[in-house]
This record gives sequence, C-alpha cells and structure tokens, in this order.
Amino acid sequence: MGCSLKNPAARRFVYRSLTANAVYIVLIVSTALYFHRFHPHGPLAYLLAVLPAIAIFAVIVSLGVYLVEEKDEFQRNLMVELLLWGLGGVLVITSAWGSLETFVHIPHLMPTMTYSLFWIFVGISWPFLLRKYR
Amino acid sequence: MKERKPNMGCLQKNPAIRRYLWRFIPTMVAYVVVLLFVEWFVHRYHPAGALLDGMAVLPAIPLIGVIAIIGIYLAEEKDEFLRNLQIQSMLWGLGAIMALTTVWGFLQIFTPIHRFQPFMTFPLFWCFQGIATGVLQRKYR
Repeated sequence: MGCSLKNPAARRFVYRSLTANAVYIVLIVSTALYFHRFHPHGPLAYLLAVLPAIAIFAVIVSLGVYLVEEKDEFQRNLMVELLLWGLGGVLVITSAWGSLETFVHIPHLMPTMTYSLFWIFVGISWPFLLRKYR
Repeated sequence: MKERKPNMGCLQKNPAIRRYLWRFIPTMVAYVVVLLFVEWFVHRYHPAGALLDGMAVLPAIPLIGVIAIIGIYLAEEKDEFLRNLQIQSMLWGLGAIMALTTVWGFLQIFTPIHRFQPFMTFPLFWCFQGIATGVLQRKYR
C-alpha cells in the first residue's frame, strides 16, 4: 500500500484520473470565463454547464475500470471499502444537511459538493484502513 | 468452479438478511414517524433557535441508522456471493449518484435550474442501487 504505483492497475488509474482532473480544471475555468464574458443562454448554456461534469464522469469511470483491472484482490477490496466509507459519509452529510435545509435557514449545500465530500471521506478513511490492515 | 446463483426467492432464510430486515424495517418506520412528528411540531409550534436545530436534525438520525445497518449487514453477511452482489450494486448506485449530483450541480451554477435538495441524495442513491441490483440479478440468473 505504501507504493501502490508499482501496481500496473493503480498506475493506470492514477494516470487516467490525473488526466481527467487536468481536463476538469481546463473545462471549469474555460466554462466560467465563457459564461462571465458572453452570458450564454438557452440550450448552449445547458450544454456548456454540463461540460465540466464530463471530466468528473471520466474520474468515476476510471475508478470502475481500476476495480475491474486490479488483479490484487486485497488492493481491490481495500479500494471498495474506501469507496463504501466515502459513500456512507456522503449519505450521512447530505441526509443531515438536507433535513436542516428543510426546517432551518442554513446555506444551501451545492450538489457539486457531493463529489468533493465523497473524496474527503475516502481520504479520512484511508489512514484508518491502512492502520487496520498494517 | 461451482456456479452460484443468488438465493433471491427466499432471502429471509439467510440469517444476515433476516437480521438486516429486522433492523431496517423498524428504522424506516421510525423515520416516517419522526419526519411526520417534526413536520407537525414545526408547523404547530414554530420553534426557533437550538430547539428548531435539534428538531431539524431528528429525521436524519434514522437515515444515518439505515446507513449503519447496511454496513452491519455487509460485515455480517457470510455468503461472499451475496455480499459482492450488494457491494457491486452499491458501487453502481454511488457512480450514478455522483454523476447526477455533478451534472445537476454544474447546471445549478450556470443555468436557472431548480435547486437540488440534499436530502434527495439518499432516496436517489437507493433508486439507482435498486436498478443496479435488478440488472445484476438478471446477469447472474
């Protein structure tokens, strides 16, 4: 687990997700600039708004591909466990926040935060699982 | 390798699933009761401050309980095939909910689309997970 880049499946996953994240940055910056400069509306606005999400899809797909490609069962189960903890964290936060938003005036939780929250919970679970399986 | 088929006709024969259902159903009933009570209380008494905050969080507690119950089921399930089926459908649900919230999020930032209510994440995830379970059951039939 210390140097998972020696693992070919993990290396491909890191390469794909880093590429997708780089594309995401380019897409989000260019979309924001385009909206700021040209104020598009109608179908073009919807199409442009969805563009950055494509890069996020790519990260999600690359995760799935990693799970399929990973030959090491232990590493695959570790990743699955991490993803499930991330999922649990997201569901807890969105349920609690959603409940608060319904009855109390708190800031709206942007749906894009779900993805970030997921990775935050994956990151939090990571050292605990490393300790568990040390 | 012996071919496995999911025992989907009588899942309650499986002790882990039986325990899961015994935990899940009362928790969901508690959720409905708590939600209706909170709705009624807030509309009737218009609480404010800490009491309102506390009341607002109440319906989320059974939902958090459901998440824990699923986790307990995954830990308790001895049948590796059924556990993997559940995990696989949850991962499909996760991918779908991430995709949906991301698209909706960007539409919300840049276009005048309706706000996505965060509490919808939970039921939508289970919808996607349910669809994935159906597809996987067909696959492994």
